[in-house]
Amino acid sequence: MTQREHLRNLALLGLLALVLAVLPSGLSVYLLSFAMFTMMYVVLALSWNIISGFTGYTSFGHVAFYGIGAYACAILVVDHSWPWLPTLVMAALVAGLVAVAIGYPVLRLKGPYFAIAMLGMAEGTRVVATVWDGLTHGGVGISFPSVENSTSTYYAMLALMLITIAVAYLVAHSRFGIRLNAIREDEVAAEAIGINVTRYKLVAFVLSAIFPAVAGGIQAYKVLYIEPQAVFFVQITIAMALMSMLGGKGTVIGPVIGAVLLYTAQELTWVNFPTAHLIAYGLFIIVVARFMPRGLIGFAIDRGWVRKGMVH
Amino acid sequence: MAPGANGIVLEARDLRKAFGGVHAVDGCSFAIPRGKICGLIGPNGSGKTTTFNLLTGVAQPDGGQVLHNGVDIAGLKPHLVFRRGITRTFQITRVFREMTVLENMLSATGLDVPERVARERAGELIALVKLSHLRGEYGGRLSYGQQKLLEFARALMTDPDVILLDEPAAGVNRTLLQHLLEQIHRLQEAGKTILIVEHDMNVIMNHCERIFVMDYGVKIAEGPPSEIQGDERVTEAYFGRRRSGVVHAG
Repeated sequence: MTQREHLRNLALLGLLALVLAVLPSGLSVYLLSFAMFTMMYVVLALSWNIISGFTGYTSFGHVAFYGIGAYACAILVVDHSWPWLPTLVMAALVAGLVAVAIGYPVLRLKGPYFAIAMLGMAEGTRVVATVWDGLTHGGVGISFPSVENSTSTYYAMLALMLITIAVAYLVAHSRFGIRLNAIREDEVAAEAIGINVTRYKLVAFVLSAIFPAVAGGIQAYKVLYIEPQAVFFVQITIAMALMSMLGGKGTVIGPVIGAVLLYTAQELTWVNFPTAHLIAYGLFIIVVARFMPRGLIGFAIDRGWVRKGMVH
Repeated sequence: MAPGANGIVLEARDLRKAFGGVHAVDGCSFAIPRGKICGLIGPNGSGKTTTFNLLTGVAQPDGGQVLHNGVDIAGLKPHLVFRRGITRTFQITRVFREMTVLENMLSATGLDVPERVARERAGELIALVKLSHLRGEYGGRLSYGQQKLLEFARALMTDPDVILLDEPAAGVNRTLLQHLLEQIHRLQEAGKTILIVEHDMNVIMNHCERIFVMDYGVKIAEGPPSEIQGDERVTEAYFGRRRSGVVHAG
């Protein structure tokens, strides 16, 4: 990608930031919260995409990091009287450490074995959160003291989303990112051309863990109540994966588009067809999988509308 | 880099590797002189590719040594072997299929190399293997022969010292093959050492200075092409026992 294209993309990101920054003044509380959750799913999908799209390790348990972040935030605010914002840094830190500890053994597994191990990991953290009363208040969950938070969480999520997009973009267009792609394509060949695959995978895994943790922390403060069932909900992982795949995993813009489209579609079907929304949602997924197996961006690449590759 | 003793750049000493009860490599020893093009031949299943894997860290030996410039590198991880200047291609190509030709090339340079330098070198090598018009195409969309060339070019991104080529001629048309062989000779002129596993006897007999013959996991013969062609043990390994004969070219 040329210097000019990078500058253009930076300008686009700046424009997006500006629009979203002035948006809250004109929005109802419902729309403000809808915008915040959309941005949250952009963060989640893009993060999942770093390990699963760029690196090829499909994670079925990424909600674990989101839940860990939510709990780190809630415990520090409620039990230790921390101000809210610094807890987000702790959320990232804790999730990063857990990612190192879990990633080291689990990233040795490939394909479905890795996916299942991650699913087990997420279920495991949910159980820990449920039974470790002393730390997590157990199954009853944690309630925050009531505060006005719509605007602060909106801006925090906006900042997080911009950072996540920037990081994903930098990774995708760097040789670090190319080397992650090489691992995805053929790990044996990647090693044979000098890539320390163990280290690269671990870095990608940690990167993909910290942003969802911060998102979890922001979301916890937004809804002011968390419980294990809600923040370790397997459907959140599925949403991350579906959004990335819909848009086009392995790209930067793909998961962003996928998250916005799918979250909007979900919200609309939920509002308009409260009983049938899962059917509509399912049909939508089938259609995409059938006609665009590589997502919208893959569809566009195959037709020559978008150039192949991340580096030109 | 300090040369090994007697001008030997890479040496296998009593290498052993078994898969279950199959002794794929069973006490194989040979020494590759610096700056030569050498061939490693043998019937199917004689252990050539396993030997390649042992030399490059892709498989861990059960016993024996791999000496690179006199240092034992047996059991080293592949990326560390690569960093010592030993590079390889694979029998069945392993280009990165959903990455462009340029990305395939760039993936092979360490992050310590400035991007500008890496791009320049990638451009030169892509031109060298005549793929410039396909630099933005996915690796998986190239013809098999082109994939072989891409893999070859990718292996040269870091200016390696020793180059191991596993069946470079298989599936490559004559024109491209001629071009590939020219490049191999050019590498030799630049002081590189090359080891080729190949079934195409034209390639082996006309381009290698020294040939190692393997059968049942051990080296059964070694010498210049003229000697190997007349070696009865080699004929036997390929064709079974008979009174006299040569390994026919082609």
